[in-house]
Amino acid sequence: MRATRPNDDEEVDVQRVYVHGTAVSSSWADGSASLTDLIFRCVRRALDDARMPVGDLEAVVLAAHDLVDGRSLTNMITAPAAAAFLKDETRLGDDGAAAFVLGDARIRSGSVRTCLVAAWGRASEGPADDIARALFDPFTTRPLGMTEIGVSGLRASRALIEHPEYAEHRAAAATRRGEVEGAAGRIPAAAWPLRDTELPIWGDVVSAVVLSSEPGPVEVLGAGMSTEPFELGDRDLTGLPALRSAGEQALREARRSIDEVDVLEIDALTMFDEALALEAVGATGSGRGMEALALDPRLDPAGARSVGYCAPAMGLTRIARAVQRVREGDGALALASGSSVVAAQTQAAVVLGRAEGHDTTHGRSCR
Amino acid sequence: MPRTGHGLAVAGVGQTPYRRRHEGSTPELVGQAVREALADAGLTARDVDIVVGGFAPDGLAGENCPDKRFLPAACAIGRWSMRINTGGTTGIAAAYAAMDLLEAGRGDVAVVVGVERMAQANSVPAVFNSIFDPIYERDTGLSTISMGALRATRMMARWGYAREVWAQVAERNFDNASRNPLAQIRTPYGAEDVLRSRMIAWPVTQLDACPVSEGVCAVVIVRSERFEGSGRPLAHVRGRASVSDTYNMGDRVHRPIGNLEDMITLSRSAERAYAQAGISDARQAQVVEIHAPFTHAETMAYGPLRLCDAPDGPDLVRSGFGRWGTETVINPSGGPQAANPVGATALIRLAECAQQVMGSAGERQVPGARVAVATGQGGANQFSTCTVLSA
Amino acid sequence: MSSTPVPPDGDAAADGSTTDPVAEPVTIQGHWDFGYTYFAGASASRFFNELRLNQRIMGTHCPTCDRVLVPARGFCDACYVEIDEWREVGTEGTLDSFTILTTSFPGLPEPPTVVGYVTLDGASTALLNAVHGIDLHDFDEAGALLLTQPRVRVVFSDKCEGRITDFAFELVAADA
Repeated sequence: MRATRPNDDEEVDVQRVYVHGTAVSSSWADGSASLTDLIFRCVRRALDDARMPVGDLEAVVLAAHDLVDGRSLTNMITAPAAAAFLKDETRLGDDGAAAFVLGDARIRSGSVRTCLVAAWGRASEGPADDIARALFDPFTTRPLGMTEIGVSGLRASRALIEHPEYAEHRAAAATRRGEVEGAAGRIPAAAWPLRDTELPIWGDVVSAVVLSSEPGPVEVLGAGMSTEPFELGDRDLTGLPALRSAGEQALREARRSIDEVDVLEIDALTMFDEALALEAVGATGSGRGMEALALDPRLDPAGARSVGYCAPAMGLTRIARAVQRVREGDGALALASGSSVVAAQTQAAVVLGRAEGHDTTHGRSCR
Repeated sequence: MPRTGHGLAVAGVGQTPYRRRHEGSTPELVGQAVREALADAGLTARDVDIVVGGFAPDGLAGENCPDKRFLPAACAIGRWSMRINTGGTTGIAAAYAAMDLLEAGRGDVAVVVGVERMAQANSVPAVFNSIFDPIYERDTGLSTISMGALRATRMMARWGYAREVWAQVAERNFDNASRNPLAQIRTPYGAEDVLRSRMIAWPVTQLDACPVSEGVCAVVIVRSERFEGSGRPLAHVRGRASVSDTYNMGDRVHRPIGNLEDMITLSRSAERAYAQAGISDARQAQVVEIHAPFTHAETMAYGPLRLCDAPDGPDLVRSGFGRWGTETVINPSGGPQAANPVGATALIRLAECAQQVMGSAGERQVPGARVAVATGQGGANQFSTCTVLSA
Repeated sequence: MSSTPVPPDGDAAADGSTTDPVAEPVTIQGHWDFGYTYFAGASASRFFNELRLNQRIMGTHCPTCDRVLVPARGFCDACYVEIDEWREVGTEGTLDSFTILTTSFPGLPEPPTVVGYVTLDGASTALLNAVHGIDLHDFDEAGALLLTQPRVRVVFSDKCEGRITDFAFELVAADA
């Protein structure tokens, strides 16, 4: 099936792309499984969900970080666990949503018909805070002990200055995120003004999505990406311009407006980041992001937090959850996004829509 | 659906020289190479839609996700960008990601940049030990050198390779590098020098192996229909393919479909890329750039690239095939033996082929180069790519 | 090259550094030392426990491709199925591939040593470990001997601790 998409001034003839299966696995320090065991089990479930034999899979796009995995060239060891055996495989050292966008491109261009996208991070194996510190420039910010949570603290204090309303709704937003069993010892060191209930809970997370050019239950209607400067001082920390641009591109390609979106899965490290991100994609007005986290029915903050957090798995996890929510009838049109390391320097957004004429409970067309 | 390979072209190349150590910061080096590549393509930063960075592995530089620091110097701000890391194939895998995005209509112009800062590591072999499986294999002290040597001894037992044969390969690569001002090693070492150099992991000597290298390679890739008639040379992408294998080398020792030294990932990649390009073997190319960090690894690629049947490899070397001045020149750049910046090296193979078919290779220009084949190789000899370019 | 600093030609300070702020390249020392706790998972745990407790080498059998994978693992990456059929394999086998490590590198075992892939009797795959007891006075001579793909046997350490280093290989013919 072909489609055209706007490319600024002209229409480009491209293949349409559908999601046939997803799986997300969440655990913590499960001694019965090696990293490759965790990856194998989750990818196997996604293929089963798509009812796709591994022999039908043509390409694999992965997202993983060497340092998170404690394997200095991780996909050398981990790619075969993600069904890459004698396949066309590549790996991003970047967020899983960017991997999804590349997997989508591989089908959209007509070069392959099927593609698996997988992303993971196992926070229980390595020192998450030390790894986050190593992200920063050794000459400038690293000596200050800066971490990703630290940047989020900078963002949160700025947000409280710009949006006094945030203070009013933050307790309710945290309550809606809910308690997670066994979270003790899995919460990163806080940075003022952030509170423990506003932080992510480290997790062992694997996500997998099966894409195909054959019609399936959910269609990828649009995608967008953008990139911010590296230097924190050069950035608009609360305006999140890369996310704003990525979301706009994805909606424009889908020929939809944000008002039509009824499922939101916007990736962000802490609750303040997420509130600002909701404003950046236009899901709510300026200053109303925290209130949306507390009340907006398009969001599922408890579900998002309970999965746990580990880069670079989270963007693809949000996309997989958006697909699942559309299939479960939460809505017909979803916007999902993923943010990269170093304080969301790169953002990718996708618009996903329920495809007509498909049984949404499983991956196979019901014609 | 077979990929046609039409519609994309390399339009510009920019490279820093390759050296053991660069003193400039990574963003400085990246900016320099990218500006040179855009100028070579007749484009400016405003024309760029997509930026893909390659860097591998993070541990060699001692920086976690260093792409975030250097991609802005490659025009990434406000644009689509991503970072690829697939070990030795990183540079070409980054180019393939850019090609996929261009073919999907995500833009018309992509900048691909492959970067290496491995001299920042105090012990490169120790970092290379940490790429191996921490559960079953890392404790044995395996490194990329011993990993290569474990294949070399099988090639000796199976196909009659000898250290003297591989020394001739090194001699040809060093001879070619003497014409390449970007090369790190420009001393024309002879076969005797190679045999006498320090034994690292028998049968691999220091001059059979690649050096520790730093540098940046930038390539501009475009949707060619937008640039036809511009009068500027283009290196058209006629075919490309990538295949990955199991990590477990022990699983490949007895594998009937292709064992450890058969490199089925490269033979399958070459088969697909050749079919797209309409060629039958690499002898139809005037330039072949083989990404092989060791002399034995270069000869392991001859069979898969259909330069000869694998058992005839030693005779092919002895015949002088591939030398400067012959019909098909192997590694006119000098190849990875003359410089092997890991995150850039597979992209350098593509850049060299592009410059050769565009006629801009300077002193090392192979006369009449029209078709060129570039390979990429990485992981536990498990990731392969093959790209065919033509004028 | 615009990024290459101009060679320092300014005055040298008393401590030997130059006083030219444009020319002097700055470096800082860093460390890259991150601790990890790797989970071996159920299959490798059993493999290591069998080494430690019973001095047995175990593989898992894939019913789809009928291979006995050694060392044991929980899934077959070629067939992409979970596997859990356990097989004990022999403690003798063939040295399929080897190298002699001859140069010292920080953080790696002190040379000269031999490592090799050995296919144990009853296994479909080869596993990597050290090969002990080889005369390494002349590397080319040692290499010529090992190129004959000789038979080797497993020798366990006196004290097994559940690591791959609990055993090594030695030539069967050495004491024949």
